[in-house]
Order: sequence, then structure tokens, then C-alpha cells
Amino acid sequence: MKWINGFYLICIFLCGTLSEGAHAQTEQLMRRADSLFASGNYFESSVAYERVYFESEEPLMRITANLKKAQALKQLREYDRALADLRRSVTFSGKDSLRQEVLYEMAFCAYMDGDPGEAFALLQQFRHRYGQDSGQRVYLLEGLVLNDLRQWDALADHIESWVLNFSGDPEMAEEIAEEQLACYAEILMLKEEQRKPDPEKARLWSTFIPGSGQLYAGEAGWGMLNAFSQLASLGAFAAMAINGYYVAGVFAGLGPFQSFYFGGIRQAGLLAENNKKSRRDETLAAVREFLFSLEEKIDAE
Amino acid sequence: MRNQGKQWRIPAFILEALMTKLLPAVLMLLFMLTVHAGYAAEHGKSINLQGGVVSPVVSGQPAGDDFSWSREVRFIRYLIGRDDYRESLFLLEKLEPENSRQLDSLHYLKGWVHYQQKELDRSAEYFLKVSNDSPVYRKSRFFAAYNLAHKGDTPKARGVLERTDTGQGDLYHALQRLQLGGIALLKRDLEQYRLQAADFSGNYHVTATQEQQMVHHYIRLKERRASSPFVAGMLSAAVPGLGKIYAGKPAEGVAGFLYVAALGLTAFDFYRGSGPDSVLFVLSASAAGAFYVGNIVGSVTASRRVNQEFNHEMDQRILFDMHIPLRNAF
Repeated sequence: MKWINGFYLICIFLCGTLSEGAHAQTEQLMRRADSLFASGNYFESSVAYERVYFESEEPLMRITANLKKAQALKQLREYDRALADLRRSVTFSGKDSLRQEVLYEMAFCAYMDGDPGEAFALLQQFRHRYGQDSGQRVYLLEGLVLNDLRQWDALADHIESWVLNFSGDPEMAEEIAEEQLACYAEILMLKEEQRKPDPEKARLWSTFIPGSGQLYAGEAGWGMLNAFSQLASLGAFAAMAINGYYVAGVFAGLGPFQSFYFGGIRQAGLLAENNKKSRRDETLAAVREFLFSLEEKIDAE
Repeated sequence: MRNQGKQWRIPAFILEALMTKLLPAVLMLLFMLTVHAGYAAEHGKSINLQGGVVSPVVSGQPAGDDFSWSREVRFIRYLIGRDDYRESLFLLEKLEPENSRQLDSLHYLKGWVHYQQKELDRSAEYFLKVSNDSPVYRKSRFFAAYNLAHKGDTPKARGVLERTDTGQGDLYHALQRLQLGGIALLKRDLEQYRLQAADFSGNYHVTATQEQQMVHHYIRLKERRASSPFVAGMLSAAVPGLGKIYAGKPAEGVAGFLYVAALGLTAFDFYRGSGPDSVLFVLSASAAGAFYVGNIVGSVTASRRVNQEFNHEMDQRILFDMHIPLRNAF
């Protein structure tokens, strides 16, 4: 029996020694990558972290390298690549805090990459696994994602639970939550009150009254120019017809008129669409600003 | 006396222990060392009994020896497999080869990364540096020739292929004939194509389909009658828009005719009502004249454009059929 124990001890000794050596080597690579990152060489550090991921056999080391590489790629504004790389670590079944970090970073990169739908799905996974046990940054990100998805009611609920969870003084929490919700509602109301032109209506206006669609879309200058062009071409047609130049009147008067008329309808619709989009963007920017200020307020408490 | 006659023997219990315990232990130890050595070599680590696993590559800077070279190349290949071409090139630029084999490997990998990045000139440049001792020599030559042909340098592409030793009657030979045939078609040298196509055998599945495709391309090029810009211009001078219809752009032709006709009728209307000295007549007649001349120039341009479109389409088809067998063969 003691011999068998001896074998096991030898095995453990060998495994321990050799894997310790490998561990030391990848740690050395990791330190090098860290120093590159710290000195601002993000591209080189991303390569060095990938090397650690490639060389290391330890899941913990690999996921750490992957997360750090994502940070380097974020600095390079390569969010899509960071997201794709982080997907490799999604099945990691070790440390819970690292799994949380991976999911959060994935959601963040998806949001920054302009895909709030994907970010929302990842945050849902995060909530499903970890419930409300998350930092403020997760609440902030979720708020930003809901804002981009224009889920105003869900965002109101989210703001409330955010304040209630993080407010330093539980007695004051409800009061602060009410105050913040009122502030949020006011921003939304102010922005929603702004008239958002409907492209269909703009086209309809221009169909019956030249230039009125542009005026409705908030572009009075273009409206006047279009109306004048149509009137001028019609006037030219009338003048030529009165003087007996019927053929010339049709080609030189009515021809340009139909171009100005149908072009004016199309232009009114496009102007209304652009105006509507810019006003929507203004609302999103205002709510975003509110969410950042809310985070600062809760932090300050 | 008793002691003199006594032979020295290993006690039975020690012998038994040696045979049943120590010997398996030593064997197991040796086995484990072998397994570890194999594992470590596979993962790019060397065994050092004093200090465990030692890596000659430290912090991304490759050392010069063959072991660290192969390890670095393995990492670069892994990056290429991930489509991380910028990173691969970054590491390749840092490599310092110490022998011709490593140099070939470096050139080949650089050529391959540039090829993947569609930087075909640079790719060809590196592929052509691969020496004929390299196992990827033929691949490099074929891809260099393809890259050159794609960039329009067909004489050089042909030269590269003709100087590549492919042997007779094997796949590489068939591939070489196909590529040379494709290059001849790109040059519109139908006579040269026929010489190459005489060797098309259809014996290799890698090239058989593309050999047939090349024959189709050849027939299309042979039967195609290019439209003449001069004829198109003359036709449009006779009847506005007719040149464009001849060039194969009927909608443009009809639209051109309507514009010129409308302006002509307008000018005639003013002429009829106000006479030739009228400002309105002069203006509308000038506009009609400008459109008439413009229509002739447009017909010449349309004819050239149609020819260019056809040639471009044919070039793309030929290049595609040159490319597919290369990717399948290597």
C-alpha cells in the first residue's frame, strides 16, 4: 500500500512541477501584455493577450486574458471584435465573478457596436443568472439600452428599481425615486411635445399645396423655393400658350413644372423623415444625459 | 569455514520488493516523463528537469532557434485562421529568419496574409520570393501568377507559370495549363488559348469543371462582335438615340430621342411664331443643338461603355474560374 502511495506522490510531484512551470510562463506573458496595455500600446497588448489565451491551458488564465484583450480592443474602438472574442468564454463554468464580467462586457460591446437589441438580450441573460446582484454599471447600461430601444415604460420601472437598490438611505430611497421619475417624465414630455413631422402628411400637403409639405416639415426656405419654381414654370407655360407657342409651352413650361411638382412631393417626405429622426435623436440624447446624471447622483450618495 | 562456503545472495523479500514495487515505480516514472515530454512538445513547451517547463519565447519576442520559430509560426497560423491579418502581419514583420527554410516560410506567410487582405501586388511579391526548395514552392508560384493576372500583369503571370516546374501529366501540369489558358483569355489571345486548351484532359476533378468553363468563355469571346463607337456615333447623328440602341442601351436611346425631339419641336414652334431672329428661337435651337451633339457623344461613350462592361464581366468570370481550382488544389 505504501508503494502505491509513493507512486501517487511521485505523480503529484511531477504534475505539480511541470504545470507550475507552464503557469509561470503564461503569467510572464500576461505581465508583459499588462505592461503593454498600461503603456497605451493597445494593439500590441491585444496580440499579447491573445498569445496568453493561445498558450495557456488553464481556463481561468484564458478567460482573464480574453477579458483583458476585450479591454484593449475597446480602447481601439473595435467593439465588434471584442464581442466576437468574448463569445469564446461564454461557456466558462468557473468563477462566477468572471462569468458576470464576460456577460457584462459582451452587453457593453454590443451596445457600443450599435446593437441595443443584442445588448438587451445579453443583459436579460445576466439578470436571469445573477438577479439584481449587480453593480451600478449594469443598471446604467440597461438604462441606456432601454433608452435606445425606446422602451419608455420599462425604463421608468428600471430607474425606480435602480434608485431603490442603490440609494444610501433606505428611508429616503422612495422619495428620491419619485423625484427622479418625475424628472424623467418631464424630459420625456418636453421632448415628446415637440411636434414630429409625419412624412406621409408632408407628402400629402405638397400634393395639394405646392411647398406646404416642406413648410410642415419645418423647412420654410425649401417650401418657398419649390412653390416659386412650380409657379414660375406654370407661368411660363401660360405665357407661351397665350402667345400661341403651344408646343413650346408644353415642353418648356409643363415639362419643368411636372419635375418641380413631383420632386417637391418627394422632397417634402424626405425632409419630414430627416426632421423626425433628428428630434427622436434629441430625445434619446436628453434621456441618456439624465441617466448619466442619475448615476453620478447615486454615486455621490 | 561455514562463512567461506556461503554465497552472497539478495534476500528474497528485497528481490520481491524490487520486482513488484520498485520496478513498476521506475517504469511508471519513465512513462509519465515520456507522456509529459510529448504533451509539452505538442504545446510548444520544453522539459527542463531542473526548472520544469521552459519557454524560449518570452513576451511575444521570438528567439532565434528553430523551436521558438516553429512555435511563433504556429501562433501566427492560429491568428491567420482567426482572420486576424493585421496581427499576423505585425508578428511576421518582427520575425528574424536564420536559415533559408525559415525565410521561405516567412515569405510564404506574408504572401498569404496579403492575399487574404486582397493586397495582390504585395502578395505576389512575397510569393515570388519563396525558393524552389520549399514545400510550398508550387503553391506560391501558382498564387503569385494568379495575383499578377488579377492585377492585369498578364505577361509576368505567364512568365511565372512557364518557369514553374510542374512535371508532366500530373495535377500540377493540368493546373498550369488551365491557368495559362485563363491568362491567354484575359489577354484575348485566342490562338495562345487554343494551344493551352489542347492539353485540357478533364482527368482531374479539381480542374475538369473549370476547363469546361474556359471553353465556354472562349466561345463567348470568339463569337462576340464588339459594337463600334464610330458606327454608334454615325447612327445617332442620323437619328438621335439610334446609336445607343445599336450599342445595346435601348431605354437610353429612346429617352435621348425624346429629349432632342422635344427641344427640336420647341425651337420649331418659336421659329414658326417669331422667325429666325427671335431670342426664344435662338435659345431653344441652341439647346436642341447642344442636346443633339451631346446625344452623339453619348452614343460613342455608351458603345465604349458596353464593350468595357462585357470585357470586365468576362475578365471576372475567367479569373473566378482560375481561382477556384487553386483553392481546391492547395
